[in-house]
Amino acid sequence: MTRECSLLLPRVCAALADPRQPGSDDTCLEKLLDWFRTLTEFDPSVKLVQDNPCLTEFITSVLTLPEPSPSILSFTLRLAGILAASESRFQHLQEEKLLVTLFGKDGPLNSAVWEDASVRSGWVEGVHSMMQHQPALHFICNGGGIDVIFALQGDPSLFVASAASRLLVHMLVLSADSETSKPPSAKDCDWPECAQMIIKHIEDSLQSSSASHVEQSLKLLTSLFGSCRSTWTEVLWLGIAKQIESFLTEKTFQVQHMLANLLLNMAWSPVFYESEGSFWALVTSALEHLTPLQAGPLAVGLLRLYKCPQDVRIQALTVLLQPMDCILRAASQPLEHAGLLDESVSDPATVESLLSSKSSCAGLLCQTLAHLEKLLGLIHLPVDLPYTSLLRSLMTILQFCNGFLSPASPLGSTISRILINCFRVQRSALDVLAALSERVGCDTLIGNLFDVLLAYLGSPNTSPTVLKKTFQATSKWLVHLHEVSRSKSQWQQTGKILEDVFLVLQKRLCSPCWEVRDSSLEFLTVLIKRLRDQDEFRQSLLSSEVPRLTENLLEDPESYVRASAVIAVGHLAFVTYFAPESPVVANQCNKENTVAKLQEILSADPEGFPRRAVISIFTKWLRQGCTGPLEDTEQFVSRVIQTVECDLDWEVRLGGLELAEVFCSQIICQLGPPECPYTPISSTVTSSTHQNKLLQIFCRAKLFGFLFRSLCDCDKPVGQRACDTLLGLRGSFYPISTLKDSQEAWDSPAGSSIAWLQRTLRQGSLAQNFPSDGGNRVDFEDPESMLLALGTIDLEELHDELNKCSDHVEKSPESLLQDILATVGTVEENEADCY
Amino acid sequence: FPEMSHLPCLCWGAGAGQDVGRSCILVSIAGKNVMLDCGMHMGYNDDRRFPDFSYITQNGRLTDFLDCVIISHFHLDHCGALPYFSEMVGYDGPIYMTHPTKAICPILLEDYRKITVDKKGETNFFTSQMIKDCMKKVVAVHLHQTVQVDEELEIKAYYAGHVLGAAMFQIKVGCESVVYTGDYNMTPDRHLGAAWIDKCRPDLLITESTYATTIRDSKRCRERDFLKKVHETVERGGKVLIPVFALGRAQELCILLETFWERMNLKAPIYFSTGLTEKANHYYKLFITWTNQKIRKTFVQRNMFEFKHIKAFDRAFADNPGPMVVFATPGMLHAGQSLQIFRKWAGNEKNMVIMPGYCVQGTVGHKILSGQRKLEMEGRQILEVKMQVEYMSFSAHADAKGIMQLIRQAEPRNVLLVHGEAKKMEFLKQKIEQELNVSCYMPANGETTTIFTNPSIPVDISLGLLKRETAIGPLPDAKKPKLMHGTLIMKDNSFRLVSPEQALKELGLAEHQLRFTCRVHIQDPRKEHETVLRVYNHLKGQVVLKDYSVQHLPDGSITVESILIQATAHSEDQGTKVLLVSWTYQDEELGSYLTALLKKGLPPSTS
Repeated sequence: MTRECSLLLPRVCAALADPRQPGSDDTCLEKLLDWFRTLTEFDPSVKLVQDNPCLTEFITSVLTLPEPSPSILSFTLRLAGILAASESRFQHLQEEKLLVTLFGKDGPLNSAVWEDASVRSGWVEGVHSMMQHQPALHFICNGGGIDVIFALQGDPSLFVASAASRLLVHMLVLSADSETSKPPSAKDCDWPECAQMIIKHIEDSLQSSSASHVEQSLKLLTSLFGSCRSTWTEVLWLGIAKQIESFLTEKTFQVQHMLANLLLNMAWSPVFYESEGSFWALVTSALEHLTPLQAGPLAVGLLRLYKCPQDVRIQALTVLLQPMDCILRAASQPLEHAGLLDESVSDPATVESLLSSKSSCAGLLCQTLAHLEKLLGLIHLPVDLPYTSLLRSLMTILQFCNGFLSPASPLGSTISRILINCFRVQRSALDVLAALSERVGCDTLIGNLFDVLLAYLGSPNTSPTVLKKTFQATSKWLVHLHEVSRSKSQWQQTGKILEDVFLVLQKRLCSPCWEVRDSSLEFLTVLIKRLRDQDEFRQSLLSSEVPRLTENLLEDPESYVRASAVIAVGHLAFVTYFAPESPVVANQCNKENTVAKLQEILSADPEGFPRRAVISIFTKWLRQGCTGPLEDTEQFVSRVIQTVECDLDWEVRLGGLELAEVFCSQIICQLGPPECPYTPISSTVTSSTHQNKLLQIFCRAKLFGFLFRSLCDCDKPVGQRACDTLLGLRGSFYPISTLKDSQEAWDSPAGSSIAWLQRTLRQGSLAQNFPSDGGNRVDFEDPESMLLALGTIDLEELHDELNKCSDHVEKSPESLLQDILATVGTVEENEADCY
Repeated sequence: FPEMSHLPCLCWGAGAGQDVGRSCILVSIAGKNVMLDCGMHMGYNDDRRFPDFSYITQNGRLTDFLDCVIISHFHLDHCGALPYFSEMVGYDGPIYMTHPTKAICPILLEDYRKITVDKKGETNFFTSQMIKDCMKKVVAVHLHQTVQVDEELEIKAYYAGHVLGAAMFQIKVGCESVVYTGDYNMTPDRHLGAAWIDKCRPDLLITESTYATTIRDSKRCRERDFLKKVHETVERGGKVLIPVFALGRAQELCILLETFWERMNLKAPIYFSTGLTEKANHYYKLFITWTNQKIRKTFVQRNMFEFKHIKAFDRAFADNPGPMVVFATPGMLHAGQSLQIFRKWAGNEKNMVIMPGYCVQGTVGHKILSGQRKLEMEGRQILEVKMQVEYMSFSAHADAKGIMQLIRQAEPRNVLLVHGEAKKMEFLKQKIEQELNVSCYMPANGETTTIFTNPSIPVDISLGLLKRETAIGPLPDAKKPKLMHGTLIMKDNSFRLVSPEQALKELGLAEHQLRFTCRVHIQDPRKEHETVLRVYNHLKGQVVLKDYSVQHLPDGSITVESILIQATAHSEDQGTKVLLVSWTYQDEELGSYLTALLKKGLPPSTS
């Protein structure tokens, strides 16, 4: 703790304990606790409480208040808990009888203020914080505190209840891990006292007739097995396994949904993987007994496990695939396609009835689809999925949803009626479809698949959110299609599909709905990025109306759309003007026209998004070397940075700096480094010629003025970026050993103005704008001055200052303490305000 | 039963308000789950700024659990966590808000994102792309338009005043409904009208209660005060800085200054420092129907948002000599432009800074509002604040009177108070319960309130059954409810009450008779038929049974209505007779009576 803080703390404590003062802002108290946490985290000694007696005095005075405010009392409980986290401070507080008074029977827990949820929460959190050592454990277990925690598991406040549950898990682990020399075994359940109390409570609750008690214990066990991997957990489990199994089969309580989570957490624990038979038998039984909706999360969790018995894995897969199988069967003519699953392993009756009910059909499908997407997202999938059948099933679902398929079978017709226009299912199915494109082996169905996708892309009934997902799936499958089409007939097929895609895209680009126009442009950009090297793609694209329509959207009324159009046009240029063997002859006039349009947007668009898009496209062009020969590039960069320098949007200015940085590194690369510090004999003549040439280019491009002025930008990220770029440049001109001594340098003719710059930056980068007349004093276009500036200005110091977060002063503990003191006595009216 | 739960806000206060908290409420109504608002807490830079959504569902997907999310207005404490929720937590379902809210939300979210980027080390915050992707999922609604979320769930927006686009929402499933007010005000102000809702009699009204006890002074006074202070400063050659967020309050103050400048013919320049004004003003123009009548009327002659005196600010202007008024972002002097100008001007006592809204701890705005005059700045510089510091609250919430007025308008069966301070809410709760006789709740954060409703479910009844049932018993009386017997058929989402016979016919079912049987042992050495006769006589003699037909049948059994009594000798003990009593469920009462009677035994024989 700094001296200033220790001076402020007594006054703060006195203010907080003063009942006449209005309650402090909640966030202040929270941040104060954060501070105490950091102070105590690595220092277990009593020094903190001894050096700051105001802390214990504060606790005492709050305890003597007749009616403490709930927020202050809650704060006190939590503060005491944090302080008592080390054994020595715990003893210190015990000696003063503070902990007993706070957490014992005579404390807040038997007073009226206990009614307030924040006090109960403070109590639980306080106990949790101190629960780092055995004395705390015994203090709570022997002082009756444990019963309070048991009771709080059923607290009306969600937060208190779950905090109590977490606390019990923590105490059990602390007790079982630390209080015994040998781990308890199944034969002699010799648990330490505290663990014994909690385990007995769990066992009793599980056997109780109250559903809420059973639920609380299941929650506790779930979080225990999810976080603790000690071997004793198995011993604990053996004592309750039978009871848990009965919940699965007897169904007296509606707790089945919780069992899935519990078993899953156990399955992830190495303790149970090794266990003999019974655990996995229970998992298998759960997969059988739980409803498909309850078993789904368990099944998908098991399938993600690398260590899982094969038969359990197969059963989990069955649970997961059953709805997809059912869909396939419902849609098929008899014997046309086999389903996904062998009927001998699955009884489809339950799933069929769920799918044919209006209330459960969409829910079950969405859940199944989400799980499949999760599985497909894994890089290494521990199981083999039947990709082709899955794809067929997905297509069937999508066709049910848009009314393109209404099979004759009773189940099929019921499901198709339920699913028609169901956006939820459409979205989920399209997500899986996109994920499936990464997996090989679905090629035979590709023609049909694009029929389905094109139907969605073309239909006026497709909602904007569904359309966006359709675009995502389509782009992924188009890339996949391209990768697999090797023969000529497949190329023709690809060509036809692309033609159709661009036809619907044309329509969508003219949609009255901005979301649709925007998604269409994003789709186009993705396609160009991935497929721009393919002839068929370029031909189809350029022979369509898409490029023209895209350019039109540069004038869209919606700024998001204009920004996406800028990006799309920027990428289109790679196919048209910048392509080495473009199918259409690059039209210089069109190119200049496009660049001029983008320049116009950069300087005149009233909104930030399109301007940000332009600068990012310009940078991309520059990176890819599309800006022409050196002189053109120099002029281009110069023009752009002069435009963005005055931009009101900080991200545009930041983008400008990125462009400048790319330009610098490219020029240095092209002309070679000005001087290599590792060259044994440096040729002064060559290096200085080099240096001069580089400096002249940068000066002509007005780069230095932009960079130095950006150091004083009111938005910090801009200053940081400029400083990074300048440091990079300095590295190129000055090897570390040759940095000039500033005093010496300032004696030179250009030196005085650079000294002024140094002073200005010292204050300016932190406090104010770059002075408007600064340009007159320093000649940013003079290579010599700039070389001097790079060599003498302390950029490291600036860099360190700029890299501090902008509120580092305001969020310091000292500032917090001052704020609390300052608010004392102020009127609270403004607190009721909104942002 | 609609179940309300006040959602996880990790700030632990008795109410949601006290400090500027955030709104996020979960309502379950007739099996549908709706999230009302998705706000962020600006006072934190870590996890605590967003609600902890893991409390909503422990192991399910949010998209499966929630049927929709509704956002009441564009303030960050109501919508700030939305991109996080939809793009990072993974909610992929429908989101509803009004058209202006949808248009303006991204501006404020961008505004705030900028502040967080400024503070290095901030993680877990959304990007520009995420804001856009989130907004693309939003379905915009019109006022008074009934939007069908799915077949059962419908929502409807009502005008709430407060800020442009703010709405109250009615959520309805079948005959149960909830109204969520969001923030609202019941008095029109300079640019917005007063909140209005029809007499929709919801089962529950969830209302904000920010000013639960206050009767607010007129906003006119505050406006006059504001203009006076600005005018005085400008007159003495000082500069006025007004830190604002890009939208909302800023526009209101712009109108105020613009008209004042016009009226007083003032010459000092007024600048708006951010490029966002244009967009903001564009929206105010676009959504002119959402503003108040006066603005709409004058719009034809002159667009109030096309400001003559307010011009775009250039960074160099801050150093210009002479008076000026500058609106600059961000609003709490967090960082950026507003803070930079503040640093330049703070040292001159002629200048003034006006904070038109609340400032969270950890900002320069908070410091100067709490009266600190020597501020440590970056680079260990000390900034002495000599300029005048003023706080002016222009926030537009309903006061106690307004809240009562809204409750009278909507006539809810229950009221739930949120977004207020516990003590003040308690006062209002009593007032509502006493004056309006409506149950009122004020749950703490994280507490669930369950409201019991009496849903009236319409059922069709067949005419035949109606006639038959009314023919029995007393004549129909509107004041006395009448019990009817029939079979309820639930089919294709409709309910019909028909006679059992018709139900059997319609459903193609065969009728089964269910009879209850009971054996009663009686000590009687006589022959069976004599025992039966004794029983018959005993029953005949019962006064209670005088209106019932008691018959002795030729086959030796007795019937009382549907109850059948037969006697047999005990197989092992001839002195004991077993009476077999059976009855249908319709005569359960009579059957039980007779069994009890016979169990007491027969009276001594008179013959």
